Amino acid sequence: MRLHGVLALGLLAGMPAMASTVYPVQAGSSLQFQGTQQGEKFMGAIKQFDARINFDPGQLANSSFEVNMQLKSMDTRNAERDMAMQTSEWFDVSHYPIATFKTTSFRQTPQGVAADADLTIKGRSKHIVFPFVWQKTPAGATLDAKVPLDRLDFGLGAGEWSDESMVGHRVDVIVHLVLGPAVATPDPVAPKSNVHQTKPPSQKK
Amino acid sequence: MSIRSTTNAWGVLARVFHWGMLVLYAGLIGVGYYMSDLPMSAAKMKIYALHKSVGVLMLLLVVLRVLWRWMDRRPSITPTAAWQQRIATVVVGGLYLLMFALPLTGWAYNSAAGFPLRWFNVYNLPALMEASPTLKVWMKEAHESGAVIFMAVIGLHALAALKHHFIDRDQTLMQMLPGRRGDR
Repeated sequence: MRLHGVLALGLLAGMPAMASTVYPVQAGSSLQFQGTQQGEKFMGAIKQFDARINFDPGQLANSSFEVNMQLKSMDTRNAERDMAMQTSEWFDVSHYPIATFKTTSFRQTPQGVAADADLTIKGRSKHIVFPFVWQKTPAGATLDAKVPLDRLDFGLGAGEWSDESMVGHRVDVIVHLVLGPAVATPDPVAPKSNVHQTKPPSQKK
Repeated sequence: MSIRSTTNAWGVLARVFHWGMLVLYAGLIGVGYYMSDLPMSAAKMKIYALHKSVGVLMLLLVVLRVLWRWMDRRPSITPTAAWQQRIATVVVGGLYLLMFALPLTGWAYNSAAGFPLRWFNVYNLPALMEASPTLKVWMKEAHESGAVIFMAVIGLHALAALKHHFIDRDQTLMQMLPGRRGDR
């Protein structure tokens, strides 16, 4: 998968400016969403995304998630619907090809851990709370989350499409990440990279 | 004119089924051709939803129609040549077959395309098959060809009725036309 290569490069380039524990995203991971059309639920998937999962339950202050989603890769198993979603009335993918998700902070909640994050779709950023379940596995960890969104917050399907009987306003995003063994970058000094970079490393504050 | 058919004429219910459903089929086929060329929009989805809802209603109506046809008596057939009667039987049989096939292929096409089927914004009907691009092509073809064949067979049926009326000058058409004319 291409995103692993990008991740590996990022790691070698020493993306974070401080100690971090980055888990590479592995096969079996999925970013899905569930919407409602004419009273019937449907599932969709964002097939191409890259996620940088830097998480340590003991060091929430140093943790960060960053996800870039290629909206061209959305698939709801319905050709007409998929095509409509690409148009300017919905995701306007030709102008806004990528949706981004970036955490700003993490906190303990009675249910577990939640991140505060900025989700940007169609050029509109919205602050969201992202509660998730983190489970260590022998090979790494899994991350599961289900977050309800209101599509109108992002200007998805406004105007005549805002009729809820046709397409529901609520969309649940369902995240399932299978993460490989953590790679710790031990110190704040970023190691020099001798690998050609295909992508500028994103900076974490 | 009675609800039930008599030996001389079709009853009210048979005529309502016959002409009422004809009007609805004409509307469905007209809208069907119109809507498929529309660019994607919420309005298009609503037109499709209406087409599908009325289509499912037709499936319900044809079931009732067949039941009624089975319970009702039928006007006596105006004597014609045996081969003509055989053709008439085949044509009418074909019409009933198509009245079932059109909504069912439409429903299947809808399912194969992965769309929901909400009946008049009241009730969601299950999919007849899994969403599948291959089946979708076949079901679309079946539904559209079905409509063309349906129109052709209705045309034959109508021509036969006109032949009875203007050439044979018998009561066949009058037995079905709206109003009291056939009910002597």
